[in-house]
Amino acid sequence: MRGAPVDVLQRVPLFTDLSKREVQQIARLFKERRFAAGETVVQEGSSGAAFFVIESGEAKVFIGGKEHTTLKVDDYFGEIALVDEGTRMATITATSELVCYGLTYWDFRPVVEANGVIGWKLLQRMAKMLRAARED
Amino acid sequence: MKRVVPLENALDETSFGSKAVGLGQAIRDGLPVPPGVALSGSIVEAVAAGESSAIKAVAKRVRPLGGPLAVRSSAMDEDGAEASFAGQHLTLLNVPSADELGSALSKIWWSANSDSAITYRKRVGLFTRPSIGVVVQALLDPDTAGVMFTKNPVTGADERVIEASWGLGEAVVAGIVIPDHYRVDRSGQVLERKPGLKRVSVRGVPEGGTVEKDVPPELVESLCLDDDQLRQLSQLADRCEQVYGHGRDVEWAIEDGTLYLLQCRVITQAGR
Repeated sequence: MRGAPVDVLQRVPLFTDLSKREVQQIARLFKERRFAAGETVVQEGSSGAAFFVIESGEAKVFIGGKEHTTLKVDDYFGEIALVDEGTRMATITATSELVCYGLTYWDFRPVVEANGVIGWKLLQRMAKMLRAARED
Repeated sequence: MKRVVPLENALDETSFGSKAVGLGQAIRDGLPVPPGVALSGSIVEAVAAGESSAIKAVAKRVRPLGGPLAVRSSAMDEDGAEASFAGQHLTLLNVPSADELGSALSKIWWSANSDSAITYRKRVGLFTRPSIGVVVQALLDPDTAGVMFTKNPVTGADERVIEASWGLGEAVVAGIVIPDHYRVDRSGQVLERKPGLKRVSVRGVPEGGTVEKDVPPELVESLCLDDDQLRQLSQLADRCEQVYGHGRDVEWAIEDGTLYLLQCRVITQAGR
């Protein structure tokens, strides 16, 4: 199996402005990653370079040590790290065997750099997300 | 380039990583390294990406090794960071056969792209894309295994320091047991033998992976190396120093009376 399902990625806010063809281009870059139940998927405060979409299984989100929500099939996390390589804003722990599609910053960046249209759409989407966050 | 080569043909650290090239050098110099193959970083990534041609190519070259397999990461030596990546980049012991290699290589590829690895890379100023080679070898089922320093890592004295336990060396490396402790001089004369407390041994299991097994009570505090084996280890230390230079940290194993070299790297804390 190569890549991630396009329909799942089209629901990721960061990618909603992209055409199907553009999402297909990105979907091919995903690699499967498996976590055992109890394994820490990402750690709050650590650096991250990958974005994940859940293929199967469940995971819990903790912020500041406090349980926040549960992630299930087709949920996603870590998309901001794809752009800014920044630190993780939450800890996510697998609560069952968890299978994800993962995309690293290293694979994503060349696509954006080579395709100004994708880059501009992502920039616009980020601006909208920022505006929405400020209005919340 | 996407390449799989016999370990002895691994020459290029930027393709295969320093562990693979180091073991290849050891084989070329006649050191007793178990047979294996080296996988370039690009073919490891292709397998992790699910490329069927890469998966087939790797399986074809690995199948003659039989099984079970030891699958070890071989990081590219980026600014001497290889030793520091130890513990972040995965080693998977007892992968049952070449057919199960795909998921093992995926795990290893992700270990180089994990948050902890990325955090470490940033801390040491590495902002480049991680690449990781892999060494695949037939997994030994050793009677005894451990580590050896070719000079005393604490005092810097010119003597061999050996730590040993029953079964796979991971019991020693991971600190699961208090290993036997030996000091041996360059002539092979034993200077000290101190039995450890080896309640468990790490062993492979048929379905893959390893488990900790209870050691029979009479062996928990028994020495697991005799003087002849200690002499052989001292001779291996000589050969390692001839090939690699002084001050080496050696992982070794003894299976059916034969001594094998599993890894040889520079001591990072010797004789300060």
